[in-house]
Amino acid sequence: MFDNYRDVDERYVTDTTLVDVEGLHFSLGENDIFRGVDLRIPKGKITAVMGPSGTGKTTLLKLIGGQLVPDAGRICIDGQDVHRLPRRALFRLRRRMGMLFQSGALFSDLSVFENVAFPLRVHTDLPEAMVRDIVLMKLQAVGLRGARNLSPAELSGGMARRVALARAVALDPELVLYDEPFVGQDPISMGVLVQLIKTVNQALGLTAVIVSHDIKETLSIADYVYIIADGQVMAHGTPQTLDVNSDARVKQFVHGEPDGPVPFHYPAPDFYRDILATRGERT
Amino acid sequence: MIGYIASLGRGTLEALSALGRAAMFLAQSAVGIPSREGWHLWLRQMHFIGVMSLAIVLVSGLFIGMVLGLQGYTILVDFGAEDALGQMVALSLLRELAPVVAALLFAGRAGSALTAEIGLMKATEQLTSMEMIGVDPLRRIVAPRLWAGFISMPLLTVGFSVVGIWGGYLVGVQWLGVFDGSYWSNMQSNVAFVDDILNGMLKSVVFGLVVTWIAVFQGYDLTPTSEGISRATTRTVVYSSLAVLGLDFVLTALMFGELG
Repeated sequence: MFDNYRDVDERYVTDTTLVDVEGLHFSLGENDIFRGVDLRIPKGKITAVMGPSGTGKTTLLKLIGGQLVPDAGRICIDGQDVHRLPRRALFRLRRRMGMLFQSGALFSDLSVFENVAFPLRVHTDLPEAMVRDIVLMKLQAVGLRGARNLSPAELSGGMARRVALARAVALDPELVLYDEPFVGQDPISMGVLVQLIKTVNQALGLTAVIVSHDIKETLSIADYVYIIADGQVMAHGTPQTLDVNSDARVKQFVHGEPDGPVPFHYPAPDFYRDILATRGERT
Repeated sequence: MIGYIASLGRGTLEALSALGRAAMFLAQSAVGIPSREGWHLWLRQMHFIGVMSLAIVLVSGLFIGMVLGLQGYTILVDFGAEDALGQMVALSLLRELAPVVAALLFAGRAGSALTAEIGLMKATEQLTSMEMIGVDPLRRIVAPRLWAGFISMPLLTVGFSVVGIWGGYLVGVQWLGVFDGSYWSNMQSNVAFVDDILNGMLKSVVFGLVVTWIAVFQGYDLTPTSEGISRATTRTVVYSSLAVLGLDFVLTALMFGELG
């Protein structure tokens, strides 16, 4: 199934890997979210993890961040097994990561400025003037330098996410995890964000993992893409190879077709019978 | 029948696991004694938990002291023993009413607010994002609140007692005409520092720890939905009140048991 881009895959294997996910199994209650997922996130590249809603993309980021513990398998970041680290070591490792949450997750008791300054204040001893410069630079990059004195409650959803992005990269982390960065952005800020993620990645040489189902935007900046469905990696490759992939499921997802092997409907009994059953009960 | 036994077992296991989680939670967060840069977090919580609860605690203390003065007088006067009013008011307050009522008020005023605040932080992923920034929310969010509650409670109890004794004085001496000197001197000669004052303070220290622990744990452990927050807030007030009243009996039996 993956024959057409096996050579591409090999090229990435030879790259230095930052995050290595091996045989990941994870379930939430009765639901098996992952049933043996293998991923390699190469250093200095933008890797996208895509898939239909509910396939556990956000869960994957939480597993990488060490907030959830897998049932089986392991996740290594720079050679360290995330889930075997003691609590303190895990928090040290997290200082090298930034994560952009879907909701922004800004601290509601701090202003925009203080939110971005938060990682700097807790992890560095920089003088106040330098903290201010860095925060203003990060806010300038997301176009919200003028909003520094607002409180998070005064921001729109899209603005909150941009502030959260500024906070996620405040410490210039090695690895940035983006959870649905493009959801709810207007076309202007969407374009800016796409460019920003690309620029930040190239300029700082950081590694990015983007979880998203905004296909066009994600494919335009990703170096490598994994598509997850049914708890497993359905396909992986560069955007170009996925675009011409002949597998019906991959085609359906990448081209956004409603009809195909992946059902649009949540499992349900036959619609006709369902309607009739209700009528029967009423009469 | 089998189903009933199974659900009983499941319930017991869930209760035990919650208790285990709560104990781990306390152990991990209580070590977060404020560091040099953490002082302002601690002071802010002292202000929110302690100072902001002061009004309700003092007003309640005043009324309870006044009621004690009135009730005590009507009983004692039948025996011609109204001179012992000061002693009665002071002992009731110091041993029982101040620690217990202040803790119940504290659970309703500060405990529920702590649960809702931490719960909302959890629901809006603020705790998760703090973890991802590499800051342990147990140390940054929970520890200052836990220690602030722990320290505020005995101080609030002192305030409650002082105002309550003054309330008893207002009613007994100023209104009903008990002799001023006997109100104070009877109190002075019959209240023992260790047995009465320190034991009462010890109670309030225990209540402060238990109520704050329940409140922050309920906030941290709740299901992050609006329904989950409302349930957890209710649980905080109910569990804290029951714990305070139950522990009060145990502590009273240990402290004053030999007197009876």
